Amino acid sequence: MRLSVRSTQNQGIPTASMADIAFLLIIFFMVTINFEVDKTTVLLPKTALRLEIPKKSAYISITEAGQIRVSSGEEISVPVPGPEDVLSFATGVVASDPSKAFVLKADSTVPYSYVDKVIDALKQAKAEVIYLLSEQETIDTAGAGG
Amino acid sequence: MKFKRDSVSDEIPTASMADIAFLLIIYFMVTTTFAATRGLDFSLPQEEQDTPLVDKEESVLIEIQPGGALLVDGKAMELDQVLDYLKPKLERNPMKPVIIRPDQMAEYGGMVDVFDELRQAPDKIGMPVKNVSIPTQREIEMFWY
Repeated sequence: MRLSVRSTQNQGIPTASMADIAFLLIIFFMVTINFEVDKTTVLLPKTALRLEIPKKSAYISITEAGQIRVSSGEEISVPVPGPEDVLSFATGVVASDPSKAFVLKADSTVPYSYVDKVIDALKQAKAEVIYLLSEQETIDTAGAGG
Repeated sequence: MKFKRDSVSDEIPTASMADIAFLLIIYFMVTTTFAATRGLDFSLPQEEQDTPLVDKEESVLIEIQPGGALLVDGKAMELDQVLDYLKPKLERNPMKPVIIRPDQMAEYGGMVDVFDELRQAPDKIGMPVKNVSIPTQREIEMFWY
């Protein structure tokens, strides 16, 4: 009489699909990754209304100290000496793409005179739209009068 | 005497594949930055558009003072009172021009607060503020009268 073969139970954790899961995660990160063209740290103003900014928009950042950096949206931002230099930058960007959106990433505590000169340069360069970069205003900050 | 023959596996070794993949995941997780990519849009007037000159008396002037205080048509006002002040004027004239004029020494955040409040008009008073302008200092010096 032949006894049936006793089934053996594998004690290891099956890791065959581990690589598949990992590669799916990699694809997710590669698709969603957003390369920041401007890494300037600023305290953004908070707004209740926030619209999605078009990709590849040109960036103009103004720090609390009034330092200005610009990027056409294709490369990492570079510093410019003053607001007067924004006009030549913006004119070049608008010449290459008249519908290009500009993103103003300014510190909320910066004196308005800096922002005024930048907006004026963008108006003179015939830019169509500016996005004022902001953070989401929460109920607490809204209630605090912020 | 028995000879042991070395057997060569004909499969690609994939044991380290998961390790490589997880290293790549860690790289992407570390380098990914959650950037703020939203904000308020502000359309600039184009030269081709027939922009009428606005009489100062016909418009509502919101001045932002250095400390953040607001003067609406010369009257001191809190931010949450501005839309209530504008509502009857917009009911009479939906295209009523509203001019935001921040002081040069006022904080930029103060201007954004006012602009954000005006953009929320459809939710708060049931009608939009369609005609908002933020003249620059150069424009004020050239055209203000």
